[in-house]
Amino acid sequence: MNAAVESSKDTGLVRVSSDKIGRLMDLVGELSLSVSETVNSPDLEGLELASFETAVHRLTMIVREVQDVATELRLVPLDDVFKRLRRMVRELERQTHKKVNLVVEGADTPIDKMVADKLYDPLLHVLRNSADHGLEGPEERVEAGKSERGTITLSATQIGSEVRITVADDGRGLNREKILKRARERGMFGPDEEPEPSVLWRAIFEPGFSTAENVSNLSGRGVGMDVLNTTMNQLRGRITVDSEQGKGTRVSLHIPVSLAFLDCIILRLGVQLFAVPVDSVAEIVRPTNGEVTSISAESYREMLKIRGNHIPVCRLDEFYNGATGEKPDTDLPEILVVFNTDTGEIAIPVDEVLDRQQVVMKPLTGRLMNVRASFGCALLGTGEVALVLDCERIAAGADI
Amino acid sequence: MTQTETATVAKAPEVAAISDVNPTQSDNIDHMYLTFALGGEEYGIGINVVTEIVGMQRIMSVPDVPHYVKGVINLRGKVIPLMDARLRFGMQEQTYDERTVVIVMDVSDSLVGLIVDGVREVLEVPPSQVDRHGQFGRGGSRSIISGIGKVGDRVSILLDTDVLVSDSEINIAAEVAQA
Repeated sequence: MNAAVESSKDTGLVRVSSDKIGRLMDLVGELSLSVSETVNSPDLEGLELASFETAVHRLTMIVREVQDVATELRLVPLDDVFKRLRRMVRELERQTHKKVNLVVEGADTPIDKMVADKLYDPLLHVLRNSADHGLEGPEERVEAGKSERGTITLSATQIGSEVRITVADDGRGLNREKILKRARERGMFGPDEEPEPSVLWRAIFEPGFSTAENVSNLSGRGVGMDVLNTTMNQLRGRITVDSEQGKGTRVSLHIPVSLAFLDCIILRLGVQLFAVPVDSVAEIVRPTNGEVTSISAESYREMLKIRGNHIPVCRLDEFYNGATGEKPDTDLPEILVVFNTDTGEIAIPVDEVLDRQQVVMKPLTGRLMNVRASFGCALLGTGEVALVLDCERIAAGADI
Repeated sequence: MTQTETATVAKAPEVAAISDVNPTQSDNIDHMYLTFALGGEEYGIGINVVTEIVGMQRIMSVPDVPHYVKGVINLRGKVIPLMDARLRFGMQEQTYDERTVVIVMDVSDSLVGLIVDGVREVLEVPPSQVDRHGQFGRGGSRSIISGIGKVGDRVSILLDTDVLVSDSEINIAAEVAQA
Protein backbone atom coordinates (compact mmCIF):
# COMPACT_ATOMS: atom_id res chain seq x y z
CA MET A 1 0.00 0.00 0.00
CA ASN A 2 1.56 3.32 -0.94
CA ALA A 3 0.98 6.70 0.65
CA ALA A 4 -1.28 8.19 -1.97
CA VAL A 5 -3.80 5.39 -2.07
CA GLU A 6 -5.05 4.05 1.23
CA SER A 7 -7.75 1.50 1.05
CA SER A 8 -9.87 0.18 3.79
CA LYS A 9 -11.20 -3.35 3.59
CA ASP A 10 -14.10 -2.60 5.88
CA THR A 11 -15.80 0.16 3.90
CA GLY A 12 -14.59 -0.51 0.39
CA LEU A 13 -13.45 3.09 0.16
CA VAL A 14 -10.29 4.27 -1.55
CA ARG A 15 -8.69 7.53 -0.68
CA VAL A 16 -7.32 9.32 -3.74
CA SER A 17 -5.71 12.74 -3.82
CA SER A 18 -7.81 15.39 -5.55
CA ASP A 19 -4.83 16.21 -7.78
CA LYS A 20 -5.10 12.79 -9.35
CA ILE A 21 -8.80 13.21 -9.95
CA GLY A 22 -8.17 16.65 -11.38
CA ARG A 23 -5.65 15.16 -13.80
CA LEU A 24 -8.17 12.49 -14.77
CA MET A 25 -10.84 15.12 -15.37
CA ASP A 26 -8.47 17.07 -17.63
CA LEU A 27 -7.66 13.94 -19.57
CA VAL A 28 -11.30 13.01 -19.95
CA GLY A 29 -11.92 16.52 -21.23
CA GLU A 30 -9.13 16.15 -23.79
CA LEU A 31 -10.36 12.68 -24.70
CA SER A 32 -13.85 13.88 -25.46
CA LEU A 33 -12.42 16.75 -27.49
CA SER A 34 -10.22 14.55 -29.61
CA VAL A 35 -13.04 12.06 -30.15
CA SER A 36 -15.25 14.81 -31.54
CA GLU A 37 -12.36 16.20 -33.54
CA THR A 38 -11.83 12.79 -35.11
CA VAL A 39 -15.50 12.20 -35.74
CA ASN A 40 -16.02 15.65 -37.22
CA SER A 41 -12.87 15.50 -39.33
CA PRO A 42 -13.35 17.19 -42.70
CA ASP A 43 -11.59 14.20 -44.32
CA LEU A 44 -14.68 12.11 -43.67
CA GLU A 45 -17.00 14.46 -45.49
CA GLY A 46 -19.14 12.89 -48.19
CA LEU A 47 -18.11 9.34 -47.34
CA GLU A 48 -20.69 6.59 -46.82
CA LEU A 49 -19.52 4.93 -43.64
CA ALA A 50 -22.35 2.86 -42.19
CA SER A 51 -20.40 0.72 -39.72
CA PHE A 52 -18.20 3.69 -38.82
CA GLU A 53 -21.29 5.62 -37.79
CA THR A 54 -22.38 2.80 -35.51
CA ALA A 55 -18.95 2.63 -33.93
CA VAL A 56 -18.89 6.40 -33.49
CA HIS A 57 -22.25 6.32 -31.81
CA ARG A 58 -21.03 3.69 -29.38
CA LEU A 59 -17.80 5.58 -28.77
CA THR A 60 -19.56 8.85 -27.97
CA MET A 61 -21.92 7.05 -25.60
CA ILE A 62 -18.95 5.58 -23.75
CA VAL A 63 -17.09 8.89 -23.63
CA ARG A 64 -20.16 10.53 -22.19
CA GLU A 65 -20.47 7.86 -19.55
CA VAL A 66 -16.79 8.17 -18.68
CA GLN A 67 -17.35 11.91 -18.30
CA ASP A 68 -20.26 11.36 -15.97
CA VAL A 69 -18.36 8.84 -13.87
CA ALA A 70 -15.29 11.09 -13.70
CA THR A 71 -17.48 14.00 -12.64
CA GLU A 72 -19.11 11.85 -9.96
CA LEU A 73 -15.69 10.92 -8.57
CA ARG A 74 -15.22 14.45 -7.45
CA LEU A 75 -18.60 14.85 -5.82
CA VAL A 76 -18.72 15.25 -2.05
CA PRO A 77 -21.72 15.84 0.20
CA LEU A 78 -22.33 19.49 1.06
CA ASP A 79 -22.23 18.43 4.68
CA ASP A 80 -18.46 18.94 4.62
CA VAL A 81 -19.10 22.67 4.26
CA PHE A 82 -22.19 22.78 6.44
CA LYS A 83 -20.36 21.20 9.37
CA ARG A 84 -17.83 24.00 9.43
CA LEU A 85 -20.60 26.58 9.22
CA ARG A 86 -22.44 24.95 12.13
CA ARG A 87 -19.40 25.55 14.30
CA MET A 88 -19.30 29.19 13.22
CA VAL A 89 -22.91 29.77 14.31
CA ARG A 90 -21.98 29.25 17.95
CA GLU A 91 -19.25 31.81 17.51
CA LEU A 92 -21.76 34.21 15.91
CA GLU A 93 -24.14 33.77 18.85
CA ARG A 94 -21.39 34.80 21.25
CA GLN A 95 -20.46 37.85 19.21
CA THR A 96 -23.96 39.14 18.47
CA HIS A 97 -25.54 38.21 21.83
CA LYS A 98 -28.42 36.74 19.88
CA LYS A 99 -29.85 33.28 20.20
CA VAL A 100 -29.64 31.40 16.95
CA ASN A 101 -31.17 28.08 16.08
CA LEU A 102 -29.53 26.62 12.97
CA VAL A 103 -31.63 24.16 10.98
CA VAL A 104 -29.78 22.20 8.30
CA GLU A 105 -31.59 20.47 5.45
CA GLY A 106 -30.30 18.48 2.51
CA ALA A 107 -26.73 18.14 3.82
CA ASP A 108 -26.26 15.00 1.75
CA THR A 109 -26.67 16.90 -1.54
CA PRO A 110 -23.61 16.11 -3.68
CA ILE A 111 -21.42 18.81 -5.17
CA ASP A 112 -18.08 19.06 -6.98
CA LYS A 113 -15.25 19.14 -4.45
CA MET A 114 -13.74 22.13 -6.24
CA VAL A 115 -17.01 23.98 -5.77
CA ALA A 116 -17.43 22.88 -2.17
CA ASP A 117 -13.97 24.19 -1.30
CA LYS A 118 -14.95 27.63 -2.53
CA LEU A 119 -18.35 27.77 -0.87
CA TYR A 120 -17.35 28.19 2.75
CA ASP A 121 -16.38 31.86 2.67
CA PRO A 122 -19.37 33.16 0.71
CA LEU A 123 -21.82 31.07 2.75
CA LEU A 124 -20.24 32.22 5.97
CA HIS A 125 -20.73 35.77 4.79
CA VAL A 126 -24.42 35.25 4.04
CA LEU A 127 -24.85 33.53 7.40
CA ARG A 128 -23.13 36.39 9.19
CA ASN A 129 -25.39 38.91 7.53
CA SER A 130 -28.43 36.92 8.58
CA ALA A 131 -27.29 36.69 12.19
CA ASP A 132 -26.07 40.26 12.42
CA HIS A 133 -28.60 42.24 10.36
CA GLY A 134 -31.44 39.81 9.73
CA LEU A 135 -32.20 38.47 13.18
CA GLU A 136 -33.41 40.84 15.87
CA GLY A 137 -32.19 40.82 19.47
CA PRO A 138 -34.13 38.62 21.92
CA GLU A 139 -36.20 41.53 23.37
CA GLU A 140 -37.16 42.89 19.97
CA ARG A 141 -38.22 39.43 18.88
CA VAL A 142 -40.45 38.89 21.90
CA GLU A 143 -41.99 42.32 21.31
CA ALA A 144 -42.76 41.37 17.71
CA GLY A 145 -44.47 38.24 18.96
CA LYS A 146 -41.74 35.87 17.79
CA SER A 147 -39.88 33.28 19.80
CA GLU A 148 -36.84 34.59 21.62
CA ARG A 149 -34.57 32.34 19.64
CA GLY A 150 -34.08 33.24 15.97
CA THR A 151 -33.96 30.52 13.35
CA ILE A 152 -31.63 30.34 10.37
CA THR A 153 -32.34 27.56 7.92
CA LEU A 154 -29.47 26.35 5.79
CA SER A 155 -30.79 24.06 3.09
CA ALA A 156 -29.58 22.50 -0.13
CA THR A 157 -31.40 20.74 -2.95
CA GLN A 158 -30.39 19.60 -6.38
CA ILE A 159 -32.61 20.73 -9.24
CA GLY A 160 -31.46 19.36 -12.57
CA SER A 161 -27.79 20.18 -13.02
CA GLU A 162 -27.98 22.93 -10.44
CA VAL A 163 -27.59 22.91 -6.67
CA ARG A 164 -29.59 25.49 -4.78
CA ILE A 165 -28.29 26.48 -1.36
CA THR A 166 -30.58 28.68 0.68
CA VAL A 167 -29.92 30.65 3.83
CA ALA A 168 -33.25 31.78 5.29
CA ASP A 169 -33.81 33.65 8.55
CA ASP A 170 -37.00 34.57 10.37
CA GLY A 171 -35.74 38.03 11.25
CA ARG A 172 -36.91 41.52 10.41
CA GLY A 173 -36.52 41.30 6.65
CA LEU A 174 -34.83 43.79 4.36
CA ASN A 175 -35.71 47.42 4.84
CA ARG A 176 -36.94 48.65 1.49
CA GLU A 177 -36.77 52.37 2.35
CA LYS A 178 -33.26 52.19 3.72
CA ILE A 179 -31.93 50.15 0.82
CA LEU A 180 -33.68 52.28 -1.79
CA LYS A 181 -32.32 55.46 -0.19
CA ARG A 182 -28.80 54.08 -0.16
CA ALA A 183 -29.14 52.77 -3.72
CA ARG A 184 -30.33 56.17 -4.89
CA GLU A 185 -27.44 57.88 -3.12
CA ARG A 186 -25.14 55.66 -5.09
CA GLY A 187 -26.95 56.55 -8.30
CA MET A 188 -28.23 53.06 -8.98
CA PHE A 189 -31.81 54.26 -9.32
CA GLY A 190 -33.32 57.62 -10.18
CA PRO A 191 -35.01 59.65 -7.40
CA ASP A 192 -38.50 58.71 -8.62
CA GLU A 193 -37.74 55.20 -9.72
CA GLU A 194 -39.56 52.49 -7.78
CA PRO A 195 -37.75 49.27 -8.68
CA GLU A 196 -39.31 45.83 -8.32
CA PRO A 197 -38.24 44.11 -5.07
CA SER A 198 -36.21 41.46 -6.90
CA VAL A 199 -34.33 44.22 -8.76
CA LEU A 200 -33.83 46.33 -5.67
CA TRP A 201 -32.55 43.48 -3.51
CA ARG A 202 -29.81 42.85 -6.03
CA ALA A 203 -28.36 46.21 -4.99
CA ILE A 204 -27.20 44.76 -1.67
CA PHE A 205 -24.69 42.64 -3.55
CA GLU A 206 -22.99 45.68 -5.06
CA PRO A 207 -19.45 46.11 -3.74
CA GLY A 208 -19.25 48.62 -0.92
CA PHE A 209 -23.01 48.67 -0.44
CA SER A 210 -23.95 48.58 3.23
CA THR A 211 -26.83 50.18 5.04
CA ALA A 212 -25.57 49.13 8.43
CA GLU A 213 -25.29 52.13 10.71
CA ASN A 214 -22.91 50.38 13.01
CA VAL A 215 -20.01 48.70 11.42
CA SER A 216 -19.33 45.71 13.61
CA ASN A 217 -16.40 43.42 13.33
CA LEU A 218 -18.84 40.92 11.90
CA SER A 219 -20.37 42.73 9.01
CA GLY A 220 -21.51 46.05 7.67
CA ARG A 221 -18.31 46.95 5.95
CA GLY A 222 -19.62 45.99 2.55
CA VAL A 223 -16.50 44.02 1.80
CA GLY A 224 -17.85 40.50 2.17
CA MET A 225 -20.20 40.99 -0.75
CA ASP A 226 -17.20 41.32 -3.02
CA VAL A 227 -16.05 37.87 -1.95
CA LEU A 228 -19.53 36.55 -2.57
CA ASN A 229 -19.76 38.11 -6.04
CA THR A 230 -16.31 37.02 -7.12
CA THR A 231 -16.87 33.46 -5.98
CA MET A 232 -20.27 33.23 -7.62
CA ASN A 233 -18.81 34.43 -10.91
CA GLN A 234 -16.05 31.85 -10.69
CA LEU A 235 -18.57 29.13 -9.97
CA ARG A 236 -20.96 30.22 -12.74
CA GLY A 237 -23.54 30.69 -10.04
CA ARG A 238 -26.05 33.37 -9.27
CA ILE A 239 -27.73 34.79 -6.23
CA THR A 240 -31.38 35.53 -5.62
CA VAL A 241 -32.88 37.32 -2.64
CA ASP A 242 -36.39 37.26 -1.37
CA SER A 243 -37.55 39.18 1.67
CA GLU A 244 -40.67 40.12 3.53
CA GLN A 245 -40.77 42.91 6.07
CA GLY A 246 -41.00 41.49 9.57
CA LYS A 247 -40.96 37.89 8.36
CA GLY A 248 -37.41 37.29 7.26
CA THR A 249 -34.96 37.12 4.37
CA ARG A 250 -34.02 34.26 2.10
CA VAL A 251 -30.80 34.29 0.11
CA SER A 252 -30.35 31.52 -2.47
CA LEU A 253 -27.16 30.56 -4.24
CA HIS A 254 -27.71 28.68 -7.50
CA ILE A 255 -24.62 26.74 -8.46
CA PRO A 256 -23.92 24.16 -11.16
CA VAL A 257 -23.12 20.68 -9.78
CA SER A 258 -20.00 20.35 -11.90
CA LEU A 259 -17.71 22.92 -13.42
CA ALA A 260 -15.99 20.78 -16.00
CA PHE A 261 -18.64 19.93 -18.57
CA LEU A 262 -21.80 21.62 -19.72
CA ASP A 263 -24.58 20.48 -22.02
CA CYS A 264 -24.89 23.32 -24.51
CA ILE A 265 -26.56 24.52 -27.66
CA ILE A 266 -24.11 26.20 -30.01
CA LEU A 267 -25.20 29.40 -31.73
CA ARG A 268 -23.58 31.58 -34.36
CA LEU A 269 -23.97 35.32 -34.70
CA GLY A 270 -21.83 36.85 -37.42
CA VAL A 271 -18.35 35.38 -36.97
CA GLN A 272 -18.82 34.76 -33.27
CA LEU A 273 -19.83 31.50 -31.66
CA PHE A 274 -21.84 31.31 -28.47
CA ALA A 275 -22.85 28.40 -26.29
CA VAL A 276 -25.88 28.41 -24.03
CA PRO A 277 -26.74 25.83 -21.38
CA VAL A 278 -29.50 23.58 -22.71
CA ASP A 279 -31.61 24.03 -19.54
CA SER A 280 -31.87 27.76 -20.10
CA VAL A 281 -33.38 27.55 -23.60
CA ALA A 282 -37.18 27.72 -23.67
CA GLU A 283 -37.68 27.55 -27.42
CA ILE A 284 -36.17 28.44 -30.75
CA VAL A 285 -38.38 30.34 -33.19
CA ARG A 286 -38.13 31.67 -36.71
CA PRO A 287 -40.47 34.67 -36.55
CA THR A 288 -42.56 35.55 -39.58
CA ASN A 289 -43.51 39.05 -40.62
CA GLY A 290 -45.16 41.08 -37.90
CA GLU A 291 -44.14 38.83 -35.04
CA VAL A 292 -41.33 41.17 -34.09
CA THR A 293 -42.40 44.72 -33.43
CA SER A 294 -40.24 47.68 -32.63
CA ILE A 295 -41.52 50.18 -30.08
CA SER A 296 -40.25 53.56 -31.21
CA ALA A 297 -41.35 55.27 -28.00
CA GLU A 298 -38.96 53.02 -26.09
CA SER A 299 -35.78 53.65 -28.08
CA TYR A 300 -36.95 51.23 -30.77
CA ARG A 301 -37.00 48.38 -28.34
CA GLU A 302 -37.87 45.22 -30.21
CA MET A 303 -40.41 42.76 -28.91
CA LEU A 304 -41.19 39.24 -30.04
CA LYS A 305 -44.89 38.52 -30.02
CA ILE A 306 -45.52 34.89 -29.40
CA ARG A 307 -48.83 33.29 -28.36
CA GLY A 308 -50.04 36.64 -27.07
CA ASN A 309 -46.92 37.29 -24.97
CA HIS A 310 -44.42 40.02 -25.67
CA ILE A 311 -40.84 39.00 -25.08
CA PRO A 312 -38.10 41.65 -25.17
CA VAL A 313 -35.50 41.04 -27.86
CA CYS A 314 -31.90 41.53 -26.79
CA ARG A 315 -29.38 41.92 -29.58
CA LEU A 316 -25.99 40.74 -28.36
CA ASP A 317 -24.09 43.41 -30.26
CA GLU A 318 -26.17 46.07 -28.53
CA PHE A 319 -25.74 44.39 -25.19
CA TYR A 320 -21.97 44.41 -25.52
CA ASN A 321 -21.43 47.63 -27.42
CA GLY A 322 -24.23 49.68 -25.91
CA ALA A 323 -27.58 50.44 -27.52
CA THR A 324 -27.67 53.49 -29.74
CA GLY A 325 -31.25 54.31 -28.85
CA GLU A 326 -31.94 54.58 -32.54
CA LYS A 327 -33.59 52.22 -34.92
CA PRO A 328 -31.08 49.42 -35.56
CA ASP A 329 -29.76 49.74 -39.10
CA THR A 330 -29.33 46.03 -39.57
CA ASP A 331 -32.14 43.56 -40.05
CA LEU A 332 -32.93 41.22 -37.24
CA PRO A 333 -31.24 37.84 -37.77
CA GLU A 334 -33.63 35.10 -38.82
CA ILE A 335 -33.65 32.99 -35.70
CA LEU A 336 -34.64 33.95 -32.19
CA VAL A 337 -33.68 31.86 -29.19
CA VAL A 338 -36.00 32.35 -26.23
CA PHE A 339 -34.53 31.95 -22.76
CA ASN A 340 -36.21 31.43 -19.41
CA THR A 341 -34.65 33.63 -16.77
CA ASP A 342 -35.53 34.82 -13.28
CA THR A 343 -36.29 38.26 -14.68
CA GLY A 344 -38.63 36.87 -17.33
CA GLU A 345 -38.15 35.56 -20.84
CA ILE A 346 -35.80 37.19 -23.32
CA ALA A 347 -35.21 36.49 -26.99
CA ILE A 348 -31.71 36.63 -28.45
CA PRO A 349 -31.36 36.83 -32.24
CA VAL A 350 -28.78 34.58 -33.90
CA ASP A 351 -27.85 33.73 -37.48
CA GLU A 352 -27.66 30.00 -37.00
CA VAL A 353 -28.27 27.24 -34.48
CA LEU A 354 -25.40 24.83 -35.03
CA ASP A 355 -25.46 21.89 -32.71
CA ARG A 356 -26.12 20.52 -29.29
CA GLN A 357 -23.07 19.12 -27.54
CA GLN A 358 -21.38 18.50 -24.24
CA VAL A 359 -18.66 21.13 -24.11
CA VAL A 360 -15.51 21.32 -22.03
CA MET A 361 -15.58 24.46 -19.95
CA LYS A 362 -12.60 26.77 -19.55
CA PRO A 363 -12.74 29.68 -17.13
CA LEU A 364 -12.21 33.23 -18.34
CA THR A 365 -8.78 34.32 -17.21
CA GLY A 366 -6.46 37.24 -17.73
CA ARG A 367 -7.56 39.52 -20.53
CA LEU A 368 -10.92 37.77 -20.84
CA MET A 369 -11.87 38.19 -17.20
CA ASN A 370 -13.92 41.31 -17.89
CA VAL A 371 -16.14 39.82 -20.57
CA ARG A 372 -19.66 40.38 -19.28
CA ALA A 373 -22.49 37.89 -18.95
CA SER A 374 -20.36 34.84 -19.56
CA PHE A 375 -19.57 31.69 -17.60
CA GLY A 376 -16.41 31.00 -19.54
CA CYS A 377 -15.22 29.59 -22.81
CA ALA A 378 -16.41 26.34 -24.30
CA LEU A 379 -14.12 24.13 -26.35
CA LEU A 380 -16.16 22.57 -29.13
CA GLY A 381 -15.60 19.26 -30.83
CA THR A 382 -14.44 21.10 -33.93
CA GLY A 383 -11.62 22.73 -31.96
CA GLU A 384 -13.42 26.04 -32.10
CA VAL A 385 -14.04 28.20 -29.06
CA ALA A 386 -17.43 29.59 -28.09
CA LEU A 387 -18.34 32.01 -25.36
CA VAL A 388 -20.79 30.50 -22.88
CA LEU A 389 -23.54 33.03 -22.24
CA ASP A 390 -25.17 33.60 -18.88
CA CYS A 391 -28.66 34.57 -19.97
CA GLU A 392 -29.62 35.55 -16.42
CA ARG A 393 -27.12 38.36 -16.51
CA ILE A 394 -28.08 39.37 -20.03
CA ALA A 395 -31.72 39.56 -19.00
CA ALA A 396 -30.85 41.51 -15.88
CA GLY A 397 -28.76 43.92 -17.93
CA ALA A 398 -31.41 44.26 -20.60
CA ASP A 399 -33.88 45.41 -17.97
CA ILE A 400 -32.08 48.62 -17.16
CA MET B 1 23.44 34.26 -31.58
CA THR B 2 23.82 33.74 -35.28
CA GLN B 3 21.53 34.72 -38.09
CA THR B 4 20.84 31.10 -39.02
CA GLU B 5 19.35 30.34 -35.65
CA THR B 6 17.19 33.41 -35.87
CA ALA B 7 15.86 32.35 -39.22
CA THR B 8 14.84 28.98 -37.81
CA VAL B 9 12.67 30.65 -35.23
CA ALA B 10 11.00 32.92 -37.73
CA LYS B 11 10.34 30.21 -40.29
CA ALA B 12 9.14 27.42 -38.02
CA PRO B 13 5.49 27.52 -38.97
CA GLU B 14 3.92 25.62 -36.12
CA VAL B 15 5.64 25.47 -32.78
CA ALA B 16 9.08 26.60 -31.76
CA ALA B 17 9.62 26.14 -28.07
CA ILE B 18 11.92 28.70 -26.59
CA SER B 19 14.09 26.03 -25.10
CA ASP B 20 15.08 25.11 -28.66
CA VAL B 21 16.69 28.47 -29.07
CA ASN B 22 19.92 27.72 -27.33
CA PRO B 23 21.10 30.55 -25.12
CA THR B 24 24.80 30.72 -25.80
CA GLN B 25 26.61 33.08 -23.49
CA SER B 26 24.87 33.04 -20.17
CA ASP B 27 22.57 30.98 -17.97
CA ASN B 28 20.90 34.01 -16.54
CA ILE B 29 17.64 34.40 -18.42
CA ASP B 30 16.79 37.59 -16.54
CA HIS B 31 18.84 39.57 -19.01
CA MET B 32 17.63 37.73 -22.08
CA TYR B 33 15.09 39.32 -24.32
CA LEU B 34 13.09 38.02 -27.25
CA THR B 35 13.17 40.70 -29.89
CA PHE B 36 10.51 41.25 -32.49
CA ALA B 37 9.88 43.65 -35.32
CA LEU B 38 7.07 46.12 -35.42
CA GLY B 39 6.96 48.73 -38.16
CA GLY B 40 10.70 49.02 -38.63
CA GLU B 41 11.50 49.17 -34.93
CA GLU B 42 12.83 46.45 -32.70
CA TYR B 43 11.14 45.63 -29.41
CA GLY B 44 12.13 43.18 -26.71
CA ILE B 45 10.30 41.33 -23.98
CA GLY B 46 11.87 39.39 -21.14
CA ILE B 47 12.37 35.80 -22.22
CA ASN B 48 11.21 34.57 -18.80
CA VAL B 49 7.56 35.37 -19.60
CA VAL B 50 7.63 33.77 -23.05
CA THR B 51 6.29 30.21 -23.13
CA GLU B 52 6.33 29.58 -26.87
CA ILE B 53 6.09 31.08 -30.31
CA VAL B 54 3.43 29.80 -32.67
CA GLY B 55 2.51 30.55 -36.23
CA MET B 56 -0.62 32.49 -37.01
CA GLN B 57 -3.71 30.35 -36.65
CA ARG B 58 -7.42 30.67 -36.84
CA ILE B 59 -8.56 33.40 -34.48
CA MET B 60 -12.06 33.17 -33.06
CA SER B 61 -13.62 36.51 -32.33
CA VAL B 62 -15.14 37.18 -28.91
CA PRO B 63 -17.32 40.09 -27.81
CA ASP B 64 -16.72 42.62 -25.05
CA VAL B 65 -12.96 42.96 -25.35
CA PRO B 66 -10.86 46.01 -26.29
CA HIS B 67 -10.35 46.51 -30.03
CA TYR B 68 -6.74 45.31 -29.85
CA VAL B 69 -7.81 41.90 -28.54
CA LYS B 70 -8.46 40.16 -31.83
CA GLY B 71 -10.02 37.06 -30.31
CA VAL B 72 -8.91 33.73 -28.93
CA ILE B 73 -7.10 30.67 -30.20
CA ASN B 74 -7.35 27.10 -29.00
CA LEU B 75 -3.80 26.04 -28.37
CA ARG B 76 -3.84 22.33 -27.49
CA GLY B 77 -6.91 22.72 -25.31
CA LYS B 78 -5.93 26.07 -23.80
CA VAL B 79 -7.97 29.13 -24.68
CA ILE B 80 -5.56 32.02 -25.23
CA PRO B 81 -6.60 35.61 -25.95
CA LEU B 82 -4.54 37.35 -28.65
CA MET B 83 -3.51 41.00 -28.63
CA ASP B 84 -2.45 42.65 -31.84
CA ALA B 85 0.74 44.48 -30.87
CA ARG B 86 0.23 47.16 -33.54
CA LEU B 87 -3.27 47.96 -32.34
CA ARG B 88 -2.16 47.76 -28.71
CA PHE B 89 0.46 50.43 -29.37
CA GLY B 90 -1.82 52.69 -31.38
CA MET B 91 -0.02 51.90 -34.64
CA GLN B 92 -1.39 51.27 -38.10
CA GLU B 93 -2.99 47.85 -38.50
CA GLN B 94 -1.38 45.52 -41.03
CA THR B 95 -2.75 42.36 -42.63
CA TYR B 96 -1.14 39.21 -41.35
CA ASP B 97 1.32 37.43 -43.63
CA GLU B 98 3.50 34.35 -43.43
CA ARG B 99 5.99 36.15 -41.17
CA THR B 100 3.33 37.12 -38.63
CA VAL B 101 3.70 35.12 -35.43
CA VAL B 102 2.17 34.90 -32.02
CA ILE B 103 4.36 35.17 -28.95
CA VAL B 104 2.63 33.32 -26.13
CA MET B 105 3.42 34.86 -22.77
CA ASP B 106 2.63 33.85 -19.23
CA VAL B 107 2.11 37.06 -17.31
CA SER B 108 0.76 36.93 -13.75
CA ASP B 109 -0.27 33.29 -14.20
CA SER B 110 -2.42 33.81 -17.25
CA LEU B 111 -1.55 33.14 -20.86
CA VAL B 112 -1.84 35.81 -23.49
CA GLY B 113 -0.63 35.91 -27.08
CA LEU B 114 0.97 38.90 -28.77
CA ILE B 115 0.66 39.16 -32.54
CA VAL B 116 3.82 40.70 -33.99
CA ASP B 117 5.20 41.28 -37.48
CA GLY B 118 7.89 38.67 -36.88
CA VAL B 119 10.34 37.55 -34.23
CA ARG B 120 14.04 38.29 -34.60
CA GLU B 121 16.17 36.60 -31.99
CA VAL B 122 16.99 36.09 -28.35
CA LEU B 123 19.27 38.88 -27.25
CA GLU B 124 21.27 39.22 -24.08
CA VAL B 125 21.25 42.75 -22.75
CA PRO B 126 23.19 43.17 -19.49
CA PRO B 127 21.65 45.75 -17.13
CA SER B 128 24.62 48.04 -17.71
CA GLN B 129 23.57 48.38 -21.33
CA VAL B 130 19.96 49.24 -20.55
CA ASP B 131 19.04 52.91 -20.42
CA ARG B 132 16.25 53.22 -17.83
CA HIS B 133 15.66 56.89 -18.50
CA GLY B 134 12.10 56.48 -19.68
CA GLN B 135 11.02 54.22 -16.85
CA PHE B 136 8.19 56.42 -15.70
CA GLY B 137 5.67 57.71 -18.15
CA ARG B 138 3.89 60.99 -18.15
CA GLY B 139 1.68 61.80 -15.17
CA GLY B 140 3.50 59.31 -12.97
CA SER B 141 1.84 56.30 -14.60
CA ARG B 142 4.06 53.36 -15.30
CA SER B 143 5.51 53.39 -18.78
CA ILE B 144 5.20 50.50 -21.20
CA ILE B 145 8.91 50.93 -21.85
CA SER B 146 11.05 49.41 -19.15
CA GLY B 147 14.26 50.58 -20.77
CA ILE B 148 16.20 51.02 -24.00
CA GLY B 149 18.65 48.20 -24.60
CA LYS B 150 21.79 48.97 -26.59
CA VAL B 151 23.90 46.12 -27.90
CA GLY B 152 26.60 47.30 -30.30
CA ASP B 153 24.87 49.68 -32.68
CA ARG B 154 21.50 47.99 -32.24
CA VAL B 155 18.73 49.51 -30.18
CA SER B 156 15.89 47.47 -28.73
CA ILE B 157 12.94 49.00 -26.94
CA LEU B 158 12.38 46.77 -23.92
CA LEU B 159 8.77 46.40 -22.83
CA ASP B 160 7.18 46.07 -19.43
CA THR B 161 4.89 43.05 -19.90
CA ASP B 162 2.74 43.89 -16.86
CA VAL B 163 1.80 47.18 -18.49
CA LEU B 164 1.45 45.45 -21.84
CA VAL B 165 -1.29 43.14 -20.58
CA SER B 166 -2.96 45.79 -18.41
CA ASP B 167 -5.93 47.88 -19.49
CA SER B 168 -4.04 51.17 -19.65
CA GLU B 169 -3.92 53.11 -22.89
CA ILE B 170 -0.62 52.94 -24.71
CA ASN B 171 0.69 55.33 -27.31
CA ILE B 172 4.04 53.86 -28.18
CA ALA B 173 5.13 56.69 -30.49
CA ALA B 174 4.78 59.27 -27.70
CA GLU B 175 6.53 57.01 -25.22
CA VAL B 176 9.42 56.33 -27.56
CA ALA B 177 9.79 60.04 -28.24
CA GLN B 178 9.94 60.69 -24.51
CA ALA B 179 12.32 57.89 -23.73
